[in-house]
Amino acid sequence: MRLSIKNLRAEIEGKEILRGLDLDVGPGEVHAIMGPNGSGKSTLAHVLAGRDGYEVTAGEITLDDQDLIELAPEGRAGLGVFLAFQYPVELPGVNNTHFLKESLNAQRKARGEPELDSVAFLKLIREKMALVSMKPELLKRPVNAGFSGGEKKRNEILQMALFEPKLAILDETDSGLDIDALRTVSDGVNALRSPERSIILVTHYQRLLDYIEPDFVHVLAGGRIVRSGDKTLARELEQKGYGWLTGEDEAA
Amino acid sequence: MSTEQHAGTSLNAVLQAGQRAMTPRPSNMDWLTPVRERGAASVAEMPLPSRKDEAWRYTSVGFLEQAEYQPLVEGPFDAIQLSDIDDLLLPQSQGLRLVFVNGYLATAVSDLAHQQDGIQVRSLAGGLGDVSVDLRRHLDAIAEHRHVFAALNSALMSDGALIHVDRDIVSRAPIEILHISVGMEQPGISHPRHLIVLESGARAEITERYACLGDARYFNNALVEVALGADSELLHTRLQEESPQSQHLSDLQVRLAERSRYRLVMAALGGAWSRSDVRVSFDGEGAEAELDGLMLARDQQLNDIHLDVQHKSAHCTSRETFKGILDGKGRVVFDGRIVVAEDAQKTDAQLSNDNLMLSRSSEVDTKPQLEIYADDVKCSHGTTVGELDANMMFYLRSRGIPHARAKQMLCQGFAEEVMAHIDNEPLRAYANKLLTARLAQTTE
Repeated sequence: MRLSIKNLRAEIEGKEILRGLDLDVGPGEVHAIMGPNGSGKSTLAHVLAGRDGYEVTAGEITLDDQDLIELAPEGRAGLGVFLAFQYPVELPGVNNTHFLKESLNAQRKARGEPELDSVAFLKLIREKMALVSMKPELLKRPVNAGFSGGEKKRNEILQMALFEPKLAILDETDSGLDIDALRTVSDGVNALRSPERSIILVTHYQRLLDYIEPDFVHVLAGGRIVRSGDKTLARELEQKGYGWLTGEDEAA
Repeated sequence: MSTEQHAGTSLNAVLQAGQRAMTPRPSNMDWLTPVRERGAASVAEMPLPSRKDEAWRYTSVGFLEQAEYQPLVEGPFDAIQLSDIDDLLLPQSQGLRLVFVNGYLATAVSDLAHQQDGIQVRSLAGGLGDVSVDLRRHLDAIAEHRHVFAALNSALMSDGALIHVDRDIVSRAPIEILHISVGMEQPGISHPRHLIVLESGARAEITERYACLGDARYFNNALVEVALGADSELLHTRLQEESPQSQHLSDLQVRLAERSRYRLVMAALGGAWSRSDVRVSFDGEGAEAELDGLMLARDQQLNDIHLDVQHKSAHCTSRETFKGILDGKGRVVFDGRIVVAEDAQKTDAQLSNDNLMLSRSSEVDTKPQLEIYADDVKCSHGTTVGELDANMMFYLRSRGIPHARAKQMLCQGFAEEVMAHIDNEPLRAYANKLLTARLAQTTE
């Protein structure tokens, strides 16, 4: 799996947020995208997942030579793109088990694989739940409704474990988590690292990267990648803040 | 004025044709004669509802001018076999099932085993044996003729279920009343009439369904009377799954004695034109009513619910939760009236109506009304009208669920607050399946 983003420009309601972004993510690599608030990190995550209202005006996004921009969100999910939301959405009245099974089967169907029946699904979900130490009763509740912040994030990582995506984009997964929850969630993500799975970590803080060690770190500012490096770049940012880089961007 | 005249004539014509079709009457229905005569007299006096009447302002009965409704007589449809209706039957049903085909009891497809001591189940036309005095005295004693259709029902009622549960008897299984309409060459009109009486301390569960075979054209004009004795409890589920070509009017009138408990879950999913009037009268102190309803109005459907909750006694509680889902040019009318009388102190009443509009061309006319004449009460009402949430849609689609299916899942989630109140598991599963099927027709 190789994700290739070239000269990507995207706008929301006519306002340009991404201004010529380039990024390459190879098989099994973990890339951290860092940057100040408003730099376009979340926009990038949503553009990759295909959200309506995020309009790509120039550039290309390909996943193994498949053009993603043309695909609806469900089509991208079928190809193995997964977005873990910063604010997982509550779905009143939609049972969590039903949602997970329906999602998995929709993706399997898109790939031409047989759908799982209820028994096979329950067996699988129990196995995956152990990975994120999720309380079984959360399966019986409506999706994310009344879940604590930590439970919502666990539910996201549970989906990542269940769907086994080729490309997982984790949008501010550490936000709103206490240390214990952060550790559980990170352990879950680390267990899912594999040569067949690439991961993009979108995060404002270095903290998450203490638990999930990236192969590459990029700084996004003003809608472009302004600096790339290895994990030491994250430490440098922790010490110096973003000012020295965004200033550099303005000067350029 | 001229249109009222014309339509009035046509209801009188329905009355006369209906009366002709009923003669000669079987003598075991003679006890109904005074009721019928009262009904016929009201039909002659009462005007046809027009848009000038507040209760009918958004609900035109103009369809009456579009067709000549023929009286449905007991006829060849008793040849219907179980295999013809097996799609409509609930699995694992353990209780009595009374099936009415075009308004008449069809014993061949009913399930009359599972009788229970202390529960008397009869039919209006006498098909299940003599109707006791206990039952007779209640018929037409609970209901008021609030509109001409109720009077017409009293004048022409063909058949229906009469259920009497003795004091302190708890029914072991739900009793099901299943209407099946079968298309005739001419659109027909039928007047089902049911009576449910629970004596003090009794408990029962009753399911009332209106279904059809094929896309028949017909008009069901039903009236249901319910009387709950002191400390009794009734779980009442109504499923309106009429044909998309049909008109359905049901007038449900409930009287609650002290400390009785009434739980109604209704899902009105079918019909080109559907109206349910629900009147609940708190006649004794400390009674409770929980009314939950779902209205589906797909393209060209009108779905109307009129509530009239009369808090006449102190220390009573009522909850009214009604939800509408609209698509295409569908229309929902919700009129939720709660009246708290001067003596009804410590009344606790909460009414809500939430609507989900899937299209810009649909229309909701919602009117919650609280009329409070007591000074120590807790009452509230709330109404919302909204569209599908873009965040929710994106969340589902990002998980691989196609657009149309995501929409269905969210509609179903919206309906779930009502549907979850159906305690009877096979019935809930059936109702949800039906809702899914009807929603599938809205979305693509």
